[in-house]
Amino acid sequence: MGEKASVLVIGGGIAGIQASLDLAGRGFQVYLLEESPTIGGRMAQLDKTFPTMDCSICILAPKMMECYRHPNIKLLTYCELKEVKGIVGDFNVKVLQKPRYVDEVKCTGCGVCAEHCPIEVPNEFDMALGIRKAIYMPMPQAVPRCMTIDKENCIKCGLCAKVCRAGAVDLQQQPKEMDLNVGAIIIATGFDQYDPREIVEYGYKRYENVLTALEFERWICASGPVGGHLIRPADGIIPKRIAFIQCVGSRGLKFGSPFCSSVCCMYATKEALIIKMHAPDVQVYIFYNELRAFGKGFQEFVNRARNEYEVKYIRGRPGEIKEDPKKSLTIWYDDTFTREIKSLTDVDLVVLCPALIPREGNKRLAEIIGVELDEYGFFKVKHPLFAPVDTTIPGVFVCGYCQSPKDIPDSVAQASAAAARAAEMLAQVRR
Amino acid sequence: MTFEPTIIAFLCNWCSYAGADLAGVSRFSYPTSIRAIRVMCSGRVDPALVLEAFINGADGVFVMGCHLGDCHYLIGNFYAQRKIKMLKKLIALTGLEPERLRLEWVSASEGARFAELVKDFTNQMKALGPSPVAGEKPDPNILENLLAAKAAVEDFRLRVLVGREGEMVDEGNVYGEKVSQEEFDEIMDEAIAAEYIRNKMYIMLKKVPQSVKELSKRLNIDPRNVLRHIVILRQRGMVAMAKVEGTTPLWAALEVGGR
Amino acid sequence: MAQQKEKPRVGVFVCHCGINIGGFVNVPQVVRYARTLPNVVHAEENIYTCSAEGIASIKEAIKEHDLNRVVVASCTPRTHEPLFRGACADAGLNPYLFELANIREHCSWVHMREPDKATEKAKDLVRMAVARVSLLEPQEEPEIDVMPTALVIGGGISGMTSALCLAGQGFKVYLVERKPELGGMLKKIYRLYPTGEEASRVIGDYVNAVMGHKNIVVLTSANIKDVKGYIGNFEVTVLKEGEEIKLKIGTIIVATGAIEFKPVGLYGYGRYDRVLTQVELEEILKGGKSAIDKRFFKLQRVVMIQCVGSREERPPRAYCSRICCMVAIKNAMIIKEWYPDSDVYVVYQDMQTYGKEYEEYHRRAREAGIRFVSYTKGSPPEVTALPNGRLKVVVYHALLGIRRELDCDLVVLSTPLIPYEDAKELSKMLKVPLGQDGFFFEAHVKLRPIDFATDGIYVCGTAHSPKDVGESVSQALGVASRAAIPMAVKRLRAEAITSVVDESLCSGCGTCIRICPYGAIQKDERGIAKVIEVMCKGCGTCGASCPERAISMRHFKDEQIIAQIHAILRRVAA
Ligand SMILES: Cc1cc2nc3c(=O)[nH]c(=O)nc-3n(C[C@H](O)[C@H](O)[C@H](O)COP(=O)(O)OP(=O)(O)OC[C@H]3O[C@@H](n4cnc5c(N)ncnc54)[C@H](O)[C@@H]3O)c2cc1C
Ligand SMILES: Cc1cc2nc3c(=O)[nH]c(=O)nc-3n(C[C@H](O)[C@H](O)[C@H](O)COP(=O)(O)OP(=O)(O)OC[C@H]3O[C@@H](n4cnc5c(N)ncnc54)[C@H](O)[C@@H]3O)c2cc1C
Ligand code: SF4
Repeated sequence: MGEKASVLVIGGGIAGIQASLDLAGRGFQVYLLEESPTIGGRMAQLDKTFPTMDCSICILAPKMMECYRHPNIKLLTYCELKEVKGIVGDFNVKVLQKPRYVDEVKCTGCGVCAEHCPIEVPNEFDMALGIRKAIYMPMPQAVPRCMTIDKENCIKCGLCAKVCRAGAVDLQQQPKEMDLNVGAIIIATGFDQYDPREIVEYGYKRYENVLTALEFERWICASGPVGGHLIRPADGIIPKRIAFIQCVGSRGLKFGSPFCSSVCCMYATKEALIIKMHAPDVQVYIFYNELRAFGKGFQEFVNRARNEYEVKYIRGRPGEIKEDPKKSLTIWYDDTFTREIKSLTDVDLVVLCPALIPREGNKRLAEIIGVELDEYGFFKVKHPLFAPVDTTIPGVFVCGYCQSPKDIPDSVAQASAAAARAAEMLAQVRR
Repeated sequence: MTFEPTIIAFLCNWCSYAGADLAGVSRFSYPTSIRAIRVMCSGRVDPALVLEAFINGADGVFVMGCHLGDCHYLIGNFYAQRKIKMLKKLIALTGLEPERLRLEWVSASEGARFAELVKDFTNQMKALGPSPVAGEKPDPNILENLLAAKAAVEDFRLRVLVGREGEMVDEGNVYGEKVSQEEFDEIMDEAIAAEYIRNKMYIMLKKVPQSVKELSKRLNIDPRNVLRHIVILRQRGMVAMAKVEGTTPLWAALEVGGR
Repeated sequence: MAQQKEKPRVGVFVCHCGINIGGFVNVPQVVRYARTLPNVVHAEENIYTCSAEGIASIKEAIKEHDLNRVVVASCTPRTHEPLFRGACADAGLNPYLFELANIREHCSWVHMREPDKATEKAKDLVRMAVARVSLLEPQEEPEIDVMPTALVIGGGISGMTSALCLAGQGFKVYLVERKPELGGMLKKIYRLYPTGEEASRVIGDYVNAVMGHKNIVVLTSANIKDVKGYIGNFEVTVLKEGEEIKLKIGTIIVATGAIEFKPVGLYGYGRYDRVLTQVELEEILKGGKSAIDKRFFKLQRVVMIQCVGSREERPPRAYCSRICCMVAIKNAMIIKEWYPDSDVYVVYQDMQTYGKEYEEYHRRAREAGIRFVSYTKGSPPEVTALPNGRLKVVVYHALLGIRRELDCDLVVLSTPLIPYEDAKELSKMLKVPLGQDGFFFEAHVKLRPIDFATDGIYVCGTAHSPKDVGESVSQALGVASRAAIPMAVKRLRAEAITSVVDESLCSGCGTCIRICPYGAIQKDERGIAKVIEVMCKGCGTCGASCPERAISMRHFKDEQIIAQIHAILRRVAA
């Protein structure tokens, strides 16, 4: 036969990318399936990463390119998993390629079409804070470097096809089904952000100067919608006082999910530091319940924020946020140390740190593949201590945030773990 | 016509070159003054290359790397920082404005920052005017000084000090003793001044044999110091006594095994 | 100057990129200009040089004009260099005899409003590329063989997991443990959170599996004495009971774990025998309820104090030890189970019950009646002895704002995991770094959490930082993947762009060895620097710092860069 053993990786975030690179690096054929037009996942949206403050896309983009170039990796972006049949060593998989209406081979990603497209749409990649066109590339570092037409918003004016010198636009493209045979499957579908609109007291989407953390990552990012300038969304004024609210919809505090998202205390600290580095005079407050800085170098990072940068950590739970006519905000909170109801006034910007929850789509995936989810919607593992990447079905593994809340390094390590288990199992099946 | 500076930019492949690419992708315009040379890491920028650019008439040299802590090669940009620090001090001795050399960190996501920096540096160079060694009639004195500076950074001493600065200051020397940053800077400053003068003397002596007194007058330094440098140059096999005029020995440069 | 065998014959291809370049830069003019440059024997324009036609036309021109160098003036090399290099290789040209002039990202797109100047700049960029490409040399990517044998140092749960996973993939594994028995920290632990299993039973299963595996050689009571060589070809000397064993190894995994901090002088530890650490408590719990009764008669009230010796203002113990909150909850619940009438207090700063399981675990503990009392760093609890031999803990409850005095039978201190003192020696032997906190320090905190910067050496488990068993096992499997990559490929292909030492110039000062973050330069028997090509990543920092200027960088030689400088500054290329 001589054919390479192959593995399907579902989800092109940092976890999926790492698992793919590990497997491809040792000679497996990898299919990396991603539902959006580009790989990169959440990490691509982040500005910097704690605790080292590395620029996120700078360290991620080379890995994305490596996936693109690797002779053993086939990228299946803008694709959907339709069906899985068979057992370990021999899964038959059906994948649906959604039409991009742009020929991936011909498109050079030059972007002239987008300049001409008359339709403006909020850019999901920028958490809808910025604008893209109906023909678009989610971000400049997208992989593959190929435009996509979003059919829902396209008015079929054909301008893009006219200006494209490469003749890459193909408005007649049809969905395409692919059949793959793989020996193992790795799931790495990451997370979504809890929608804090449910907590009406915080006024998310009612008050313009209330953002979620992911929105803030884009807002403050140099390649984001406002070029990384620290300004208020409502009126472009430079803020003087910014507050972060932790555990919004996490840890069973009234709304949302019972679990702890594990990364919010740290990314809030990181975002606070980013602010302080932009503008040292801005006062930054973090309202927390319990400060969880349990990873390598994390407590040191918090100490730095507190002592060197004078970020103010307040142990207390905000009950309500009120907006004044100037769009500034007042936060009412009970200070858990003094047991008093207090208020913080003249806050220019509030950043909510919502629970990070398993993706809605996990249910459907679990059905298709036949694996189990736990009570929250994360993929269940065989044993939390001794088999942390094996799902309930042999040959199907899981890694990254979709297994349980974790940060980037833990996702990367776990991705390698999933790769190792897949390799080990295939070595045994093929023997 | 207004003066258009020519700026050579050494960009590291992973961050600053990518930042420049992003400036392009985002269509941030900036002046046409800049010519980029791609290197894998800002740590690759040998001080001699920077001086080579100035000697050939660059109005400005821009070195860019990843932000500290972000280096693709972990620590290359720290070495770049130390090299540039040394170079600026050295260039100040030559009569060329040290502001013509600039080091900045630009990440792959900072397209706008890249464009801003190029604008800013170009304006700065415009305000300074053309490099004294650019164009048809370069200032012979400064040119000679720059050649001396280049020879100095090609020599063992400055290179080894720069290469070992981190070790000495952060980890301690072979005896496990740390050298404070101030102490190290002092050693460095002295070495820069000495190596520069020695190479300058060597170039002067290459043109015509001279006495300690003549050198002292031309360089405007104490004859005793001149003699000290001559002794060291002699030890290094770079100069020798050419002849004696009356009671005054004249010194001449020797051909040194070229590389 | 480089000795060239043949005179450069350069072909230049200038891309319109639709209108992206052509709309702002006068491409035909650039092509005409290119023809006037030295060494250029062919120049043409393409609508899209990267399209199938463009590539075909490069290949054709190489044949037709007998080109031995190619320049494409188009977009950024960061995305397109591999494509054009491939085209050169297809046409039989060494792919390193190629250069890109970036006239899109660095020119047309940023000078849209100044088309004339943009055209002039594009010409300059092409001139630079031609000057550089004329001096480029063919490069080969060196290869080395990799021994498909791994060495795992440390026989705790991490080391055993890695060994089993690698052995399961068919690699030979040496597992070296310095204690007489495998098992590590878990040998001292009673039950495991969050599942409640008995650690000894699990460890027993693992030890049997490891001992019984045909691909694993277990060396207990053994120490690493010396490590030489590099990825694929390490030579390791192990000292076992006075005997030296020499091993040839491809990859090395560090799984040496950590120990608990003994808080001598804190909260009466070492003075009162009713003050224990969590490990000491675990060891008693292993003896069952009778062991407790024997030692303490019975337990009416137990106080556990968190963050003892951890989360301090300064390193080395500024970190949070990650596991202690769950350990305290676990043991508190065991005590509560055995003595339902007892009061068990956990006195804490922040409960680090992160993730999905541990938050739930915390809730279960509260429901089971464990009492949680919060203190702040500024006012820690105090422990004193009572005349009857019991203890008194005074704590200021920060959330309720009241002072509590608790008489108790037992105080348990939750102290952090700390690195072994002799980890330093191992780190020196392996030439890998330790962090400020004394734990092994990985290559990149975010994206290479279990690799070392030095190729072929990896780290997992509590040797890296405190973590629980699940996280240790995750990392241990992870390193089994990382280490398997080179061993599965068997031959490693390295970067062509590496540094080269000119032996006649090297004085053996060792500056480069210090500088290289990858340990890619070593001294040979003569004391002269030698580059291990497969480990070199090609940054060039060593060369730019070499005091003797004895190191040059392939593909980024001084003269190649100087050619670019000259091309920029001397309007007419020499
Ligand atoms: C505001 C914020 C800041 C953060 N800051 C940091 C930080 O500084 N440092 C740090 O370490 N961590 C940080 N994190 C956490 C970090 O984002 C995650 O740990 C990491 O992104 C998890 O990676 P992943 O690959 O598991 O998931 P993701 O990044 O979510 O990737 C999952 C991928 O799978 C795709 N996918 C999903 N479902 C399907 C499907 N059904 N079919 C196909 N594809 C699918 C998605 O499109 C996505 O590309 C932060 C998180 C947030 C919210
Ligand atoms: C009090 C306490 C309770 C705990 N309870 C739980 C729990 O309930 N659930 C849970 O998930 N986790 C628990 N943990 C954490 C758990 O113990 C660790 O996650 C786990 O032991 C880590 O395994 P390891 O193999 O990385 O390190 P270790 O278990 O420390 O093993 C390292 C091994 O390496 C050997 N070694 C060290 N140096 C060398 C050398 N130079 N050469 C050769 N060999 C060497 C050591 O002798 C040791 O055998 C607890 C920890 C403590 C302290
Ligand atoms: S070029 Fe960089 S990686 Fe290679 S030997 Fe020199 S310092 Fe090390």
